[in-house]
Amino acid sequence: MSLRRLLALACAVAILPSVAMADTIKIGFPIPLSGPTASYGNPILKGAQMAVEEINAKGGVLGQKLEILPRDSKANADEAVRLARELIIKDGVQFLIGTLTSAEAPAVSTIAKENKIVFLAPSAKAMLLTAPQNLHPYVFRVASTTATEGQSGAYIVSKWQGVKKVATIAPDYAYGRDIIAAFTEHLKQLRPDIEIVDQEWPKLGEPDLTPFITAQMSKKPDAVYCALFSGDFITLVKQATPLGYFKAINNRLADGGEVGAVDITAALGNDYPFGIWADAYDPVVWPGNEPAEHKAFITRLKAYMKSDVGSGWAIQGYSAVEALAAGIQKAGSTNSDKVAAALAGLTYDTPVGKRTFDAKTHNSDAGEFWGIMVKDPAYPYAIISSPGYYNPLPVTN
Amino acid sequence: MSGADIALSRRVAWPLWRRIPWTLIVFLLAAMVPFLGSRYDTFLGTQIAIEALFAVSLNLLLGTTGLVSFGHVAYFGIGAYACGILMKTYDVSFWIAFPAAGLAGALGALIFGFFCVRLSKIYFAMLTLAFSQIVWAICFKWNDVTGGDQGLPDIPYPDLDWLSAIPGFGDSSIGDRFYILTLVLVALSLAVVWKITRSPFGRMLTTIRDNPERAAFIGLNVRAYELAAFVVAGIFAGFAGALFGIFNRGVFADYVFWPKSAEVMIMTILGGMNYFWGPPVGAFALVWLNQEITDYTEYWPFVLGAILLVLLYAFPGGIVGGLVSGFRHLRHQLTARRA
Amino acid sequence: MAASFLFSQFVGGLTTAMFLFLIASGLSLVFGVMRVINFAHGSFYMLGAYLAWQMVRWLHPSAESFWPAALLAASSVALLGVIVERLLLRFLYGREELYQLLFTYALVLILGDAAKFAWGTAQLTVSRPAVLNGSIDILGATVPYYNLFIMLLGLAIALGGWRLLSGSGAGRMVRAASYDREMLDALGANVGGIYTGMFAVSSFLAGLSGALVTPISSIVPGMDVEIIVQAFIVVVIGGLGSFWGTFWGSLIYGLVLSFGILIFPSFSLFSVFALMAVILIVRPWGLLGRPIR
Repeated sequence: MSLRRLLALACAVAILPSVAMADTIKIGFPIPLSGPTASYGNPILKGAQMAVEEINAKGGVLGQKLEILPRDSKANADEAVRLARELIIKDGVQFLIGTLTSAEAPAVSTIAKENKIVFLAPSAKAMLLTAPQNLHPYVFRVASTTATEGQSGAYIVSKWQGVKKVATIAPDYAYGRDIIAAFTEHLKQLRPDIEIVDQEWPKLGEPDLTPFITAQMSKKPDAVYCALFSGDFITLVKQATPLGYFKAINNRLADGGEVGAVDITAALGNDYPFGIWADAYDPVVWPGNEPAEHKAFITRLKAYMKSDVGSGWAIQGYSAVEALAAGIQKAGSTNSDKVAAALAGLTYDTPVGKRTFDAKTHNSDAGEFWGIMVKDPAYPYAIISSPGYYNPLPVTN
Repeated sequence: MSGADIALSRRVAWPLWRRIPWTLIVFLLAAMVPFLGSRYDTFLGTQIAIEALFAVSLNLLLGTTGLVSFGHVAYFGIGAYACGILMKTYDVSFWIAFPAAGLAGALGALIFGFFCVRLSKIYFAMLTLAFSQIVWAICFKWNDVTGGDQGLPDIPYPDLDWLSAIPGFGDSSIGDRFYILTLVLVALSLAVVWKITRSPFGRMLTTIRDNPERAAFIGLNVRAYELAAFVVAGIFAGFAGALFGIFNRGVFADYVFWPKSAEVMIMTILGGMNYFWGPPVGAFALVWLNQEITDYTEYWPFVLGAILLVLLYAFPGGIVGGLVSGFRHLRHQLTARRA
Repeated sequence: MAASFLFSQFVGGLTTAMFLFLIASGLSLVFGVMRVINFAHGSFYMLGAYLAWQMVRWLHPSAESFWPAALLAASSVALLGVIVERLLLRFLYGREELYQLLFTYALVLILGDAAKFAWGTAQLTVSRPAVLNGSIDILGATVPYYNLFIMLLGLAIALGGWRLLSGSGAGRMVRAASYDREMLDALGANVGGIYTGMFAVSSFLAGLSGALVTPISSIVPGMDVEIIVQAFIVVVIGGLGSFWGTFWGSLIYGLVLSFGILIFPSFSLFSVFALMAVILIVRPWGLLGRPIR
């Protein structure tokens, strides 16, 4: 082959991928993939990647394939901003999904507004993201909200018999404060006879919760509402159990930080405080009336993640991609304004049920699955018995 | 003829192009980025300029005065919050908020520095860290003023419409205009810091760095000089913070968290803390490397750690130090050969 | 407030204190003898935790294998410490302290990513060894056996370390090395060996603390930097380089935290750094350090 022909072939080969790339819809995905919050970031990303693979296998959206560009935001707001800009301007993404911490989400939302890019937040619950002063047409929340969490918790606690004194324990930052505020306010409406006898506020990531535990136990509450999540919840369980904390309240503890998710229950194994009420976006193990779609989803998820356990968090990434795809489909185009208009008020499908974006607030009506955590001989970890869907009140079929 | 006369005559003989300072050339090249580079390059340039100013302000303490501060990010953060709060919550113009940020940084440095300069070496470093973490804790918790852990998103850009009057900037974007503004402010700040390091005051600081006991012996009030250096460094860190907040369109507690102090110290040493232009070179290198490497792998900390090790063992003078000694070596080889 | 409640808080504070002492003692030793601030001490702690988890899985996932797993983990970390000291740190002793600090920071970055590569980012936990399950009632306070074990271990290490340092020949060498390295070198002692030995002991203590913390905490990325900050504060309060100072510093820190949250509920975020700042302003050399500024 002559040199000239070789050169021409090389050019054609070089151009070919870019021609193919122009056909993909690019989604930027900045999320923490390192540090303590990566235990959420990684499964959420996996769920999203699985959704993209499935959608592409069925021909994509509007004839185009989806493509995710994942980046590690290191749970750092200015890194998230830099990545958002890089993804939009240099990599040419048309949509953004991601962020986790309460600072990252509003930071990236501002950049999304600046560049008119639709941005979906799969896990940020902080109210500030969609507060009226920060709301703009392009931001949508797939996660639940602190208000929903607190209210569900209040409803559950209000139904317990013989409870007169309630205590709370939550991490000392906006998320924890907002949930407890929603909880106490709603509980007062439902059961004005209940008294809040103690409130503990350990700092986020506190390695030693013993002083908080003993202080709370001294007030002798009948029940506890807990907003500790992830590593903090594990630390609480490991340090409180030998002190007799759960026994003293007869396991009357409700925790709205998704500690019913298999990621946490599998980590704790037999040390899990069976008998408490906990929630998860996705129960994964669903005794009772499990929708067939969910069963199939979990089988696929476990295969995709190469894990026997799966994850209760992957559904958030999966749902975000499903929602976006539905929005693009309805808009008939990838133009941001059209997609944003289509998403507002849109009802989209997820393996755990239909969800809708509120047309005004852009929050999805996502609730969580609550239930008593029990020991099941078929699994080496706790599972939610008869998961019920609360958003924020229980939804009966 | 004396040496000075030779030098003088040599200077007169130099052609025009050799008399333009190379810094001006770099400045003009940098100003061309919005026209020559992509939109993303402009953002990268803005970030590099801001980090360069922050690193130079640290080097006033580290390289010039020999004060190892682990908490320099406190004044960066105070400046960022001061400017952000004034501009967003109180609708104050940038031209008042920006100097206010410098003033806030100076005030913070004065208060904290007063206690810090009474200590030396490791105790000084630990106290600077403690103060900066206290600032962080305040920013993280004071929801009403600082927005707490959610921060202050949506900081407005300053009003830069008047820049369109300059030829060539007619339909430039706000990002480009803010870049030029940042470039000018950073260049002016660097010029001021340069003058300070070359002034008698600056020479006193290096004397203190080289031998604090001797400096005290010859009558210098070492503590007063160190405090002054601390305050000046605080002013420019505050300026850098203010620009950073606007650049990122938001001010968050993450800006004041101690890893940022580690980051700016690495930049300074990577570039070379014994040279004025070391920190800006380090800022450029680190920002560029971070951007390139995070595109390919999530193991950026590993890469950074490896780079630090290479630096420590092979290039202790940093990039600029390595270049200077390499240059000197080369010139030595060439002149040796000629002789 | 009931006396039994105050006693519970006191015991809780003691547990925190002894745990911190286990970790901080290694840090204090290395600084006292080698004048190196070892940032990577927290990374050794984290590696001890991850390795303990791994060993438990390999040996037999039952609560009995905890003890050999913990010892194996601590020994592996000690070995890593020896390698790091002999191959890398040794060449930086003559240099400025800043460079040594940067070196340990580079280690933190590298070891952190190595752990992430090996064990991922999910939460991991280890169960309590069966023999230490349960608790005992002392003066109305419930004291878990495991916490009692940690308290006794901390005390044992404090006393044992003190006996070794003050009583034995090796201990005298170590103390001499911390006072005047050059003189000791001139007298013909193997200072390099002392340094390596100290670093190995320190790494062993860090790895052991990491392994021993797994039954009462979660193993998570970021635990390395979280703990190193607390260890520093304890060492500063007690006095950099003073072994007993670290012990008393841990006690003060544990008790202040324990009772501080009763007075100021939203206290724990500030407490650490406020305490450090106050000590450094008022008495920078800590409780038992040498009075230099």
